Amino acid sequence: MNRRVLSLSAICAVGALALTACGSNGGGGGKSADGSVTLKLVAADYGDKATNASKLYWDEVAKGFEAANPKIKVDVQVINWNDIDTQVKTMIQSGNVPDVLQTGGYADKVADDLLYKASDVLSPATQSNFIDSFSKAGQVDGTQYGIPFVSSARAFFYNKTIFSKAGIAAPPTTWDEVKADAQIIKSKKLAATPYALPLGPEEAQGESMIWELGNNGGYTDDSGKYTINSQANIDTFSWLKTNLVDPGLTYANPATTDRKTAFADFAAGKVGMLNGHPSLIQMAKDGKVDYGVAPIPGKTGPLTSTLGVADWMMAFKKNGHQEQIKKFLDFAFSKENTLKFDEEYNLMPVTKDTLQEMTSSGKHKDLEPFFSLLPGAKFYPLGDTTWDAVSAEIKKSGGTAVKDDPAQVLGALQKKAEDAVANK
Amino acid sequence: MTHKSRSGLARLGPLPWIGPAVLLILVVVVWPVYEMVRTSFLKISTSGFVRGSAGTDKYQKLFDEPDFGHVLTWTVIWTLTVVGLTILISLGLAQLFNQQFPGRRVTRWALIAPWAASVLMTSIGFKWMLNQTAGVLNTAMTDLGLIDKPEDWLGDPSTAWPWMIFVAVFVSLPFTTYTLLAGLQTVPGEVYEAAKVDGTSTWQTYLRITLPLLRPALLVGVVINLINVFNSFPVIWGMTQGGPASDTATTTVFMYQLLNTDMGESAALSVVNFALVVVMVLFFLKVSRWNQEEGR
Amino acid sequence: MSAVQTVAAPRRPGAPSAAAAVRRRTLRPRTVIIAGLAWLLAAVFVLPYVEMVITSLRPADELRDATYLPRHFQWSNLIDVWRESNLGDNLRVTLLVAGGSTLLVLLVALPAAYYTARVRFRGRTLFLLLVLVTQMFQPTSLLVGLYREFYQFGMLNSVWTLILCNGAFNLAFAIWILTAYIGSIPVELEEAAMIDGLGRVGALVRVTLPLALPGVVTAVIFTFIAAWNEFVMGLTLSTVPQSQPLTVGINNFIGNYTVQWNYLFAGSVVAIVPVVILFAFIERHVVSGLTAGSVK
Repeated sequence: MNRRVLSLSAICAVGALALTACGSNGGGGGKSADGSVTLKLVAADYGDKATNASKLYWDEVAKGFEAANPKIKVDVQVINWNDIDTQVKTMIQSGNVPDVLQTGGYADKVADDLLYKASDVLSPATQSNFIDSFSKAGQVDGTQYGIPFVSSARAFFYNKTIFSKAGIAAPPTTWDEVKADAQIIKSKKLAATPYALPLGPEEAQGESMIWELGNNGGYTDDSGKYTINSQANIDTFSWLKTNLVDPGLTYANPATTDRKTAFADFAAGKVGMLNGHPSLIQMAKDGKVDYGVAPIPGKTGPLTSTLGVADWMMAFKKNGHQEQIKKFLDFAFSKENTLKFDEEYNLMPVTKDTLQEMTSSGKHKDLEPFFSLLPGAKFYPLGDTTWDAVSAEIKKSGGTAVKDDPAQVLGALQKKAEDAVANK
Repeated sequence: MTHKSRSGLARLGPLPWIGPAVLLILVVVVWPVYEMVRTSFLKISTSGFVRGSAGTDKYQKLFDEPDFGHVLTWTVIWTLTVVGLTILISLGLAQLFNQQFPGRRVTRWALIAPWAASVLMTSIGFKWMLNQTAGVLNTAMTDLGLIDKPEDWLGDPSTAWPWMIFVAVFVSLPFTTYTLLAGLQTVPGEVYEAAKVDGTSTWQTYLRITLPLLRPALLVGVVINLINVFNSFPVIWGMTQGGPASDTATTTVFMYQLLNTDMGESAALSVVNFALVVVMVLFFLKVSRWNQEEGR
Repeated sequence: MSAVQTVAAPRRPGAPSAAAAVRRRTLRPRTVIIAGLAWLLAAVFVLPYVEMVITSLRPADELRDATYLPRHFQWSNLIDVWRESNLGDNLRVTLLVAGGSTLLVLLVALPAAYYTARVRFRGRTLFLLLVLVTQMFQPTSLLVGLYREFYQFGMLNSVWTLILCNGAFNLAFAIWILTAYIGSIPVELEEAAMIDGLGRVGALVRVTLPLALPGVVTAVIFTFIAAWNEFVMGLTLSTVPQSQPLTVGINNFIGNYTVQWNYLFAGSVVAIVPVVILFAFIERHVVSGLTAGSVK
């Protein structure tokens, strides 16, 4: 008996593991017997520790929503920014599609017809509350699918202490002034990095576009065709290479330096100037850095329209929960909720009522320079369904354009972009 | 009774014994392998949506990648260098820690630190220590006069590679050294006594007696390290994420990078990757005549 | 019993210590050099982790300072880190996963290894080949397949899933080391036990298992450490903070805008210390456990 028991128990152990495990819950939304529906929400984490994790925010929202809608449950899943793209892809490929997703891009999901139109899942009141430029950025071929969630605009940050020690009266307005100021800071050894140029995989597409805008370049032309290796863009990177990188006025290897590093260095007083966004304000304050905000310098003068970035909400058709999603989104985009989120992370609003509230409440003096930038901000080609793939390529290798031959690097990226368009 | 039930179990054959193991491998390893191979023939959009069959297009696309050639070259150099250095240094370490000296216990504990810590954490730790602004290794090297000013070691492939190799060797040493230490335990003390009587020099004793006796342990160390280093993901991902671009990527890291742009192509690389490991291990086993040793 | 011990754990108590005594008397300066070198190397192995501890004690505003030590040590970091993360949950998950998968590996590998070592059954080569192949796959390339599979089972975010996965990917090494170890135990002892009416399972439990203890300990420690430090599967298969293992939880300190290096390393220290302590206790057994594997 003894022996049989042992060998059998080994098998049973495996079997039991499988069985008990099957009993535990998996994801996946569906209707249960009493007609209640579980909505699956996947969102990115804007926090950097448990006490400010976005999970806390969404749990709160879900609780409020469930109290008002007893027949709908919300299953909240919050994923670290670094992993969310890969995770979402894995989910979609496995058929485990969320009902509502909040992340960085939406258009590639439109290409596969996975999303509801914004008008299908938003009440007219909610839809008309969005700031027009953002609603427009959420369109693919004239139809809005992407629902803006939060935004930020880029502006030029400089360390006032370093600038006054260097004897520089006003922040630079042109590229040549950036270079001249950086040289003074370097020669007087006032900062380890005079100008921080983060072209690493984290945000290469953002910093690149800011500089390209300074030379009237950009990723696409007016008709929406990719122009990554336009002469203006090549000139931009050549300028950066010969005037900032080669003379050692910025990081030695911008292609591997992430925005996080640049921000942390600025907040520690080790960077003279850089392009930043509102979340840098709090960091600089924590680091007791006396900072100034100015328009971003362009080749011949300050940028008239800066880079605006938006993160997106989208609703998936697969589980057929249109009605419930509509209720949830109307709830989530109430002024109370969006205001709370924007204030928690120092982000910019995308809705008119919240923008009104934030500009008039007087509690957000720090953000004022950014509020005025919002209406005229330029965006990535977000509505292009190939943008997510192209953006991934730019993140990966765009930064090498300031080290290797700019024409060659941008040319290779252009080719990848054209391939992506051809395989749309 | 006893006899009867024993033959009862025997009649069932190997199944009750190896069945659970086979089941576990089939469910957790073989099934995902099948999925991987299937995926490599699929056309999957950037959103992760399966659009249909791609035939062998993804393999074609992979081989046409401009980075593929140098990633492959680096993978070979990386594997050979890391395994080679690991084995050489481990031989020395094993010899050293096999001696009797005060504090042998404690120093051996120190040796296992990189083993006990997760490789990813160790790699992130080194990335932190090599940071240009605040890295303690930069500070130390500047103070020692080895460099003029803090360097961005991991930003440039030419300096990133040596450091990554260093870290990869660092984390591989404990296991390998312990395997070789175990091997040294099997060398009978009398052999050394005899050699001493013969007047053979220490070095000759090592070459002629110790090393051949260590052969089995060495084989184990080399095979396990070959597989682990070739597949090693956390060291490179933790330190450079394979960048700039794919300049510091091995095939495994490149595969993870491709996940961002084309899942099908990434799966195709997984398949190629596996084929490479198999070829490499079989080649090594053949060269080292593992089978002869086994059949002994 | 004593005869067996010599075979199973060839660490003859008599010979080395006698030889060491001789060496200690005659080669004093040499011992000093050896000890010095060993202590130096031990320091090299431990220093990266010392730096992690130091960083974990830095106040946030001193993280970008290029100094060896912070101006003041913020011990509260080690307490705050528990509040700033789900470290408690993560630690529980990791303990369950590491413990559970170790148990699973033992339950599954031991019978398989025993049978493979003792019986030349049909399909034995095929089985060993399957095991070797398992060793060659790393989970990184199978993530998509694993996710898809466990989603279909409805087992995402479950501790059981991580136990099964970690168990499966560590099975190969355990089977290999146990087969080698059991193979080195004289079969006659078991046969005697079987004639005494114990039967095969009885002989395994009462005779072989106690003798194979060092091999079992080695398999246990390998599986435990590997599961304790596993990252990519935990990252992919559990997306809820409360069901993520420690390694993934620590990784969450790498935020979108900032990296909380001090908390990151404080969490790492919490993760490393238990394993080092565990290892220190059974270090001796690991060498003797690996011995058989390296002789085979």
